[in-house]
Amino acid sequence: MPRAEGYVDMVVETDLLVVGSEGAGAQVAIEAANRGVRPLVITKGAIGRTGASQCAGADFNVDGISAKDLGFSGDDRDSDEKFFSDIIHEGLFLNNQKMVEKYVEYAPKSTKNLLDWGMRVYYYASVHSEEMARGLTSSGKRWVNALRKKFKSMKLPIIEDAMVVDLLVSSGRIAGAVALNFRSGEIILIKAKAVVLATGGFQMAYPFNSATYDLTGDGQAMAARVGVPLIGMEMVQFIPTTILWPPIESGSIITYIFTELDNRVRLLNYPGDRFMSRYDPKMLEKSTKEIVSIASELEVMAGRGSPHGGVYFSMKYLGEEELEKIKNGVIGLTKSLGETRYEFKTLLPRLIEFMKKEDIEVSNACHFMVGGIKVNELTETQIPGLYAAGECSGGLWGANRVAAACTQAGVQGLIAGEVSPGFIKRVDQEEIDPLDVKRIVERIERPFKMDKGVKVEELRRHIHDISGKRLGVIRDGKGIKEAIDMLKEAMEEIPGLYVSDKRSRKLNREWISCLELDNMLTCLYTTAIASSARKESRGAFYRSDFVLTNHDNFLKNTIVRVKQGKFEVGFEPIVTTTLSLPKGKMTFEEAVGVATASLVREDAKRGA
Amino acid sequence: MEEKKIKVECFRYCPETDDAPYYVTYEVPLAGRMSVLDCLNYIRENLDPGLTYFINCKKGFCARCALEVDGKKVLGCTCEVKGDIKVKPIKEEKVIKDLWCKNI
Repeated sequence: MPRAEGYVDMVVETDLLVVGSEGAGAQVAIEAANRGVRPLVITKGAIGRTGASQCAGADFNVDGISAKDLGFSGDDRDSDEKFFSDIIHEGLFLNNQKMVEKYVEYAPKSTKNLLDWGMRVYYYASVHSEEMARGLTSSGKRWVNALRKKFKSMKLPIIEDAMVVDLLVSSGRIAGAVALNFRSGEIILIKAKAVVLATGGFQMAYPFNSATYDLTGDGQAMAARVGVPLIGMEMVQFIPTTILWPPIESGSIITYIFTELDNRVRLLNYPGDRFMSRYDPKMLEKSTKEIVSIASELEVMAGRGSPHGGVYFSMKYLGEEELEKIKNGVIGLTKSLGETRYEFKTLLPRLIEFMKKEDIEVSNACHFMVGGIKVNELTETQIPGLYAAGECSGGLWGANRVAAACTQAGVQGLIAGEVSPGFIKRVDQEEIDPLDVKRIVERIERPFKMDKGVKVEELRRHIHDISGKRLGVIRDGKGIKEAIDMLKEAMEEIPGLYVSDKRSRKLNREWISCLELDNMLTCLYTTAIASSARKESRGAFYRSDFVLTNHDNFLKNTIVRVKQGKFEVGFEPIVTTTLSLPKGKMTFEEAVGVATASLVREDAKRGA
Repeated sequence: MEEKKIKVECFRYCPETDDAPYYVTYEVPLAGRMSVLDCLNYIRENLDPGLTYFINCKKGFCARCALEVDGKKVLGCTCEVKGDIKVKPIKEEKVIKDLWCKNI
């Protein structure tokens, strides 16, 4: 039998493989290198120019007291206990409390790192400012540029435009991974004593999302394939008022961000009614993300949507003169802040100009994955040597995230960078089973070697139809059941995928899409079966057939495991420390803290 | 809804299989305001799955989708298409495949 090396084009050895190069991954590599181990980063794009981090708003959490130590105005009313309690209330009590404790403890340290590495900040937001996380506001570009600069200054090794496809586990311990280098088309065997997954979400599994094209759930899926449980996968966060139309602007959340700068935006349905007055007469458009998302969706379902299936984002009622003032205000603000991002500098003024005459079609975009790879507070998975940091991990946010995803990346990246070197120094490189490498290489090469079969684009469209219609903002048992059956069938099509363009293995988008689609399907399937198990509504998760938040029966985490190719869903108790769990049942609206809202559709009220 | 069709003339070249670069012209329906990348996506998704170009954020952040469109250097994601266009790689001598160059 050939050695493992015989199945691949290239072999590299490292102490620590970090999969992902942005908010979480770069921080892991920097910290691990500081602790004397040699990391290797493999990223699907170029460092500082890939994934979600670059697009972030971006807010960073620091409690009001620590903010003072960092030189900001801070907020004396704040405390670690309050910060901890707020996150768990926002997560509707599904959070792993040990992870939240670590988050609160590490948030100032991870933020200080970024400030030390040159990330500039726009302003400090206090704990009491509404809809703004407590802490600092900077931009995704400033964030990833600071990380990239630090990373480059340390001359850390990186392979860009490459995708880690599968993990290698030997004798129950991590042994390395297999990757595809997009640029060269070569398959790489990576021997590693430890691996940190920092691959982000799987937003591309949804037809309408606010994410980048590389977010296809690679980390979650490859962890699941080696038997690591996924937690809370039913919790998919959608962001309302994302631009739906036209295509050139579609997926931009600048409209959502704008509502935080100017609260005079109205949301209208097709006849032009200000529909939020029916769902939350008191808070209207300023209700929570969840209520606005669900209300918008209900309007579309009732046939009162815009031509492309959204609602209208409107400021026309303010008049051209006022909009001109708003536009000039935005232009002035971006100039004074030295803001260079296209969305702020160019797109936003253009949209305000457009709104003098027209309304913008907006909708709910798949935005953030609340669940993910099950880890503990030290970012350890159940496989020794395998860690997960940032959005690809689950458990921290429970049922919803209001606090900062950027800080999650920094905190968990820092922890993984601290913890993994200790493990690496204790162990030897695990022996790699050549048969594992052979099997993975065959899986990678299969679509390229097949002459005919299923077209990846057709299967992609099909799964988008499933996720868009049945696993979106509002779900129900019937739709979830259909999604499970349809996704199962779609998974059976995966081995039939083929690449039609065989000119070259280099930069073969069709080939890459086959591998990504497999991962997205795995993630969506776990989302579907976890959704089926949770027969209630909570936080980011809303079922029209179980509208109550049911503390008595569902204060537990969904867990999905893959065993011998079969997916199993179950529940595990919540990890608690100091905050006791509530009892009883309440309406979804009450549970998310908007007691003034009612998510009953008008036609349903009339018994239509 | 008004839907006009435009012609997108695309540079194609795979150094491993082609002796020289060539152009292929595709017909793309303009559905609403579309960017150059929207057009290339349409071609890849509906007409030619092999068309190779870079796409990541599609919102002007990553700035890796630089292309030459009708002789001008632009970002494919933010450059609006209004009529027929000719799309070339940003540096022809650095092409790995089609519209994707080294060191972008």
